[in-house]
Amino acid sequence: MKRRAFVGTVGRIGGWAVGADLLGLYPAIRQSDNPSLLIPMDDSQSDHLKAYGVAYRVIQAGGKAEWLLNYRGGSFLLPDAQSIRRDAALNGVSVAAADDGQVSAIRGDIAGMNADAVPLEKAPKVAVYVPPNTQPWDDAVTMALQYAGIPFEKLWDPEVLADGLRTYDWLHLHHEDFTGQYSKFFLIYTGQPWLSEMVRFNDAARRQLGLASVPDMKKAVARAIRAYVDRGGFLFAMCTATETIDLALAAHDVDIAASFADGTPMDPAADTKLDWTQTFAFTGGHLEPDPQVASFSDIDGHQVNAGPRRQPLGAFKLFNFSAKIDPVPTMLVQNHRDVIPDFYGLTTSFLRERLKPGVSVLADEEGAPWVKYIHGDLGKGTWTFFGGHDPEDPQHQIGDPPTDLSLHPHSPGYRLILNNVLFPAAKKRELKT
Amino acid sequence: MRRSERVRLTVVVTVLAIAATSPRGPLAAQAISQGFELERQGRVEQAAAMYVSVLHGDSASLPALIGLERVLPPLGRLGELLPLVQRALLVDSGPAVRGLAVRTLTALEENDSAAALVRRWAAARPGDPAPWREWAIALEDHQRFEDARNALMEGRHALGTATALAIEQGELEQRVGDWQAAALAWAGAATDPQQLPNAVSQLEDAPVDQRDRVIHALTVAGASIAARRIAAELLLGWEQPARGWETLVATLDPPSPEAGLALRRFAERATGSAVAVRRVRGLSLARLADYLPGAQAARMRAEAARALLDAGDRTAARAELAKLAGDPAAPAEAKSLAQSALVDAALADGQLDSAASGLARLEADPRTSSEERERLRYGLVAAWIRVGRLDRAEEALGPDSSVEALALHGWVHLYRGDLKEASDAFRTAGPYAGDREAATARTAMLALLEQIDAERSPELGAALLVLARGDSSAAVAALRSAGEHVGGGRPDVLLLAGRIAAQLGGGSQEGTAVDLLSEVVRTGGTGAAAPAAELEWARLLLRQAKAADAVAHLEHLILTYPASAVVPEARRELEQAKGSIPRS
Repeated sequence: MKRRAFVGTVGRIGGWAVGADLLGLYPAIRQSDNPSLLIPMDDSQSDHLKAYGVAYRVIQAGGKAEWLLNYRGGSFLLPDAQSIRRDAALNGVSVAAADDGQVSAIRGDIAGMNADAVPLEKAPKVAVYVPPNTQPWDDAVTMALQYAGIPFEKLWDPEVLADGLRTYDWLHLHHEDFTGQYSKFFLIYTGQPWLSEMVRFNDAARRQLGLASVPDMKKAVARAIRAYVDRGGFLFAMCTATETIDLALAAHDVDIAASFADGTPMDPAADTKLDWTQTFAFTGGHLEPDPQVASFSDIDGHQVNAGPRRQPLGAFKLFNFSAKIDPVPTMLVQNHRDVIPDFYGLTTSFLRERLKPGVSVLADEEGAPWVKYIHGDLGKGTWTFFGGHDPEDPQHQIGDPPTDLSLHPHSPGYRLILNNVLFPAAKKRELKT
Repeated sequence: MRRSERVRLTVVVTVLAIAATSPRGPLAAQAISQGFELERQGRVEQAAAMYVSVLHGDSASLPALIGLERVLPPLGRLGELLPLVQRALLVDSGPAVRGLAVRTLTALEENDSAAALVRRWAAARPGDPAPWREWAIALEDHQRFEDARNALMEGRHALGTATALAIEQGELEQRVGDWQAAALAWAGAATDPQQLPNAVSQLEDAPVDQRDRVIHALTVAGASIAARRIAAELLLGWEQPARGWETLVATLDPPSPEAGLALRRFAERATGSAVAVRRVRGLSLARLADYLPGAQAARMRAEAARALLDAGDRTAARAELAKLAGDPAAPAEAKSLAQSALVDAALADGQLDSAASGLARLEADPRTSSEERERLRYGLVAAWIRVGRLDRAEEALGPDSSVEALALHGWVHLYRGDLKEASDAFRTAGPYAGDREAATARTAMLALLEQIDAERSPELGAALLVLARGDSSAAVAALRSAGEHVGGGRPDVLLLAGRIAAQLGGGSQEGTAVDLLSEVVRTGGTGAAAPAAELEWARLLLRQAKAADAVAHLEHLILTYPASAVVPEARRELEQAKGSIPRS
């Protein structure tokens, strides 16, 4: 599936779609002829995260599924089949049988409230951008996918630059520094074997690709990812990847890397030479000029490793969108909690004043100058950025053991990640003319 | 007025205005506080302005200068600090301002000026390592490790001692990941015994793959005593306590205050619960006792004996207890402690009659607390029960109606086959008798007994006694046979037998385990035993690396017995088998 035009189209013409719906030009919700299974996603669900995997596997097997936005926490309506019941039972996912009458009642409820039903039609093919070596930190998305049982493939710089993204619908980026400065880990972790390994891998890849420096390679990768989204791909990024991919895109012709990364210091006038027209989300940011400060720019609101600039964690609140008018952001914020404790990453949040016009804010911290979770379109594709590293480990440190999600089956933060995985599965609604 | 005069006048007026508004004294302190607060809020530009205003009043204000050192780099304005520091140096040539000047010049890459300043500073204060230290650290902070190493070498040469700046050298080598060189540098630093803790604390962070190199560097032929003592402590911390002890012992002759100090540190750090750690703790305390006078030595020896007993080294423990018993200087409580330790040793050795005699002596010794006597008596009763001397155990308990005694009576009833009386006693004792392990064992047995209809089964009692005596293989056969005599509780008894067989491992026992567990799954009906048996079976298969078969059993369990209490455990095993969650 190559970014079926659904998301952008529905997002832009939501008003038209609803208008058509109200005029009876097409049915908003597919009528069910057979008994169904409801996977409730409110507090009655015994494993919210694995529920996404059950829904994914139904559509992966060619089955029909509906995502009931804002209905009982963003429930799923599936056909009733023994194989699905078995899958749910094995995974500890609560399901409830619903006969036609009950399904009609659900649809009636949905029609009368800020809710909607979105058909899920094709399981997206998922790629995770990750280097080939083992990294000493966990990756929230990889863990969420593994826990939910959603298949994915790994790729890295050589594959991305060889047009390897072409066959994937969804790409995830996590703790990657696209400025090519190894997240400035030199400041603290010089001498650690994993850092030496990271440098060795990156340098080998750079040589293999015939590029002058690692920062140059990362910029090329950032451009390839941008082109992938432009052609219709779905991009989901967390932690450092959010901020640094935009910095790398804005700095296409500027040296923004410290000398330890490419042998030359940052261009002293780099700030003034950044081209923000190339970025996904941010504009007007100022680069961190000091290579000794573990921060990339002033895009991040929390500045976790920047000494006195570090800000304390609060909680972020998900926005409540109109399901019938704004189905895309509504999908992305489906949850059984509205307020979620914040968590640090090398990039934790995004200063509101650095967002480009047109960026949708999905969650923010009330009263704070930063937002947490944002979404936007680029060309035929979409991107979503989620600040922070691990929703269930607010202070995740390098070397900490990975989070065991079986201990957090109701994690509202991880639900946001999985919303993004299912979001590309949503069916485009045809616009009647 | 000519232009030049106007300019001069403007400058004079400006300086006067600044002087008039520059904070001094308490006002300066207030301005510094405001600067800190602005920094905390991330308003670094305003903070910089605040600090600069303080310097207008006091050009050598260290808090203001250091504040600027913090806030100017993020603003890309570090260059502004240099003239301010140079001005400060005119009125204050103390180490703090000089150090700041070295850091600033280094950060600005004015290398010749930095070097010249350091050499002037060193010439003014011969023998002071501070100039070289400041310079090296400043260079390190800018990733200029080779330059930092050269600065330390130059400093060492100037200071004229081989171990000068060894600490800084150690930290530098550690930072660049050369742990072997760091070890050698720290060994030099630790010729001052006070640096031994620092050396150990720094080097114990060495990555696992570097540890052998560190130990080799510290113990190579010709290595100093200080180096080998560092190695001993590192080995202890890196879970090689026996090797650590051997390394330390080789440094203890001839006895010296430093050797005593090293022994004490080693003993204090040997605090883990692992048997090997307890043993080296006991050995080091025993050796330390030789360094101490009279009563202190006796207490130390008693503690050593206790640690050696805990570690199961009864020979070494007895040697210490014998020394203690023959020590006229030993205080009474130490002798009492030794006596009770001897009873513990006899119990652990299975010399129950000897333990009973020792206990009888303690009963007559008013220095032994009643709690200690009671602890030993219950220990002796439990030991008699384990060897099947149930009458002797019952006799020792006498009319005692405490929860401890009730729990022990329960085991006596159980092994005699009086299942109902055993259940009643366990239930009455509840979770309060003994430690957590004992309470868990009673609860598990109670859960088994509740599944059995028969009030009496000498066969089951005998089988469980065989198990208690540690003959697991015989217990499997005995339990299998006893299963025929317990009516509806058969699946639970077979499940216990299957679990023991599975734990025993090995080809034939694993085969027996599969036979027993599969029989329980087949015949266990809807009771709790069948899903528990299937879980045990799956775990056995996982240990045998038959993940696919294990997954099939786990899925069958979850789907067949959705309400079973073992489903969460089964699901976790399933997730780990499939790689959905990390292995714990």
